[in-house]
Amino acid sequence: MLLDYDRLGWLKAALLAFTALVAAFLLLPVVFIVLLSFGSSRWLAFPPPGWTLKWYQELFADPSWIEAALTSARIATMTAILAVAIGLLASFALIRGQFRGREVLRGLLLTPMVLPVVVFAIAIYAFFLRLGLGGTTIGFVVAHTVLALPFAIIPIATALEGFDKSIEDAAIVCGASPLQAKLRITLPSIRIGIFSAAIFSFLASWDEVVVAIFMASPTLQTLPVKIWGSLRSDLTPVIAAASSLLVALTLALMIVTALLRRKLQT
Amino acid sequence: MSVEAQQGITTSRIPAGLGGLFPALILIGLFFVVPVLALLLRSVTDPAPGLQNYAALLGDGTYVRVFFNTFVVAFVVTIVTVVVAFPVAWMLAIMPPALASILFGIIILSMWTNLLTRTYAWMVLLQRTGVINRALMGAGIIDQPLPLINNLTGVTIGMVYIMLPFMILPLVGTLRAIDPMTLRAAALCGASPFAAFRRILLPLSLPGIAAGGLMVFVMSLGYFVTPALLGGTSNMMLAEMIAQMIQSLLNWGLGSAAAFILLVVTMALYALQLRLVGSKRAAGGA
Repeated sequence: MLLDYDRLGWLKAALLAFTALVAAFLLLPVVFIVLLSFGSSRWLAFPPPGWTLKWYQELFADPSWIEAALTSARIATMTAILAVAIGLLASFALIRGQFRGREVLRGLLLTPMVLPVVVFAIAIYAFFLRLGLGGTTIGFVVAHTVLALPFAIIPIATALEGFDKSIEDAAIVCGASPLQAKLRITLPSIRIGIFSAAIFSFLASWDEVVVAIFMASPTLQTLPVKIWGSLRSDLTPVIAAASSLLVALTLALMIVTALLRRKLQT
Repeated sequence: MSVEAQQGITTSRIPAGLGGLFPALILIGLFFVVPVLALLLRSVTDPAPGLQNYAALLGDGTYVRVFFNTFVVAFVVTIVTVVVAFPVAWMLAIMPPALASILFGIIILSMWTNLLTRTYAWMVLLQRTGVINRALMGAGIIDQPLPLINNLTGVTIGMVYIMLPFMILPLVGTLRAIDPMTLRAAALCGASPFAAFRRILLPLSLPGIAAGGLMVFVMSLGYFVTPALLGGTSNMMLAEMIAQMIQSLLNWGLGSAAAFILLVVTMALYALQLRLVGSKRAAGGA
């Protein structure tokens, strides 16, 4: 009975109440920060004494915020493209390939997801210092692609596993070259996986803080580094304004994902 | 030798499809494996060859306390996360789809929102003059503001917040895979809801709880951002200590040694988790 929603009795009310509390806990910081960004108190009093847009004006008047956001967008886009391309090739090999040690290689490629980021951050920081890549866009993109690769491989490999290879073989029997069959039959069939891979690897770079803190230079800062720096000096409401825009972006991304998934699935 | 035979040899030497792995292996090999190994090498060569960095780390009470702190916080975070996540996952697994999709939406929104944004929100909420202290004082529950930030309480609240989705989402899968009939049978045979929970639902979801809990524990051990912002200077956690040794103290040897200890612990626990997930899959397939 415990797994029948309609036959839980009094337990259902208790569990639902608890679930609602947890949902409120999960929503609290997100809603709070958006409300706070429109509050007029510099000292972040809540509820705010009045409402204002001045923190947004201050945000947009400061070119360093805009520049940091653009830098992040640029690095995250390049990371997503690279991670999806490399991840796509690797997924085909991991799912279709017949060779010994496949599981070991798969594990190796997914390790960056498990290793604490701080370990990788100092390792790549030291390495790039030696190569002269510290504080460069290329350095950022390479480091972020390493971190994003597992997030690209997992959804693509899952999609590929669920794809019936005999359809691709049928295309080849009907005269398509193996490459044509892959490009025109297989890739469109696993597009949901590819799309998820792109979103996840973009976010993996866009939200990445730890490597970015080590890699950043005074002239090259991503948005998380900029927020981190501001957080350490004071809790100005300008951060709330920037954060609210990031929440809006997350919501937009969720809606686009939901719509695209629905469209791609039919 | 004919062309065909030669091709036969080459294809058997480089198995079909392996070529696709090269870009990934070059990327991970050159920019992940090599830098991490170089760092580990540094822990036994910087400033002089030998194990003195490890001896310094394990012989000094301050460092040992950081290790201890880190384990305690990760453990507490894991327990709280499991206890809070289980009822939510349970409801998510069986509630009507419309309601479930709203709840999933909230979980995804929280999970996808920028990490620093969420941590910033908690910094403001947990301040001495923050909303939570004011609400508690307003309700007459406390007369003095509680110290909720710059200590392990703040770290725990912030970490549980971040870890919850990682526990809830996999647990929903585990719970959905359990056949409701087993619990109906228990009720028919006269088991009380509590007995059915303790003797059937809980044991059947244990593999999911163990795998998820281990993942949360491992992630908490190496977490940097939230402890650094919500924690205090007097009770630092391991990841922050490593970052500080490198960034502020420029003590590469000591920092690398601490990083290596974190790496070994993390990887050992990860291997354990893989075995748990593997055995769960095996059980599900049987």
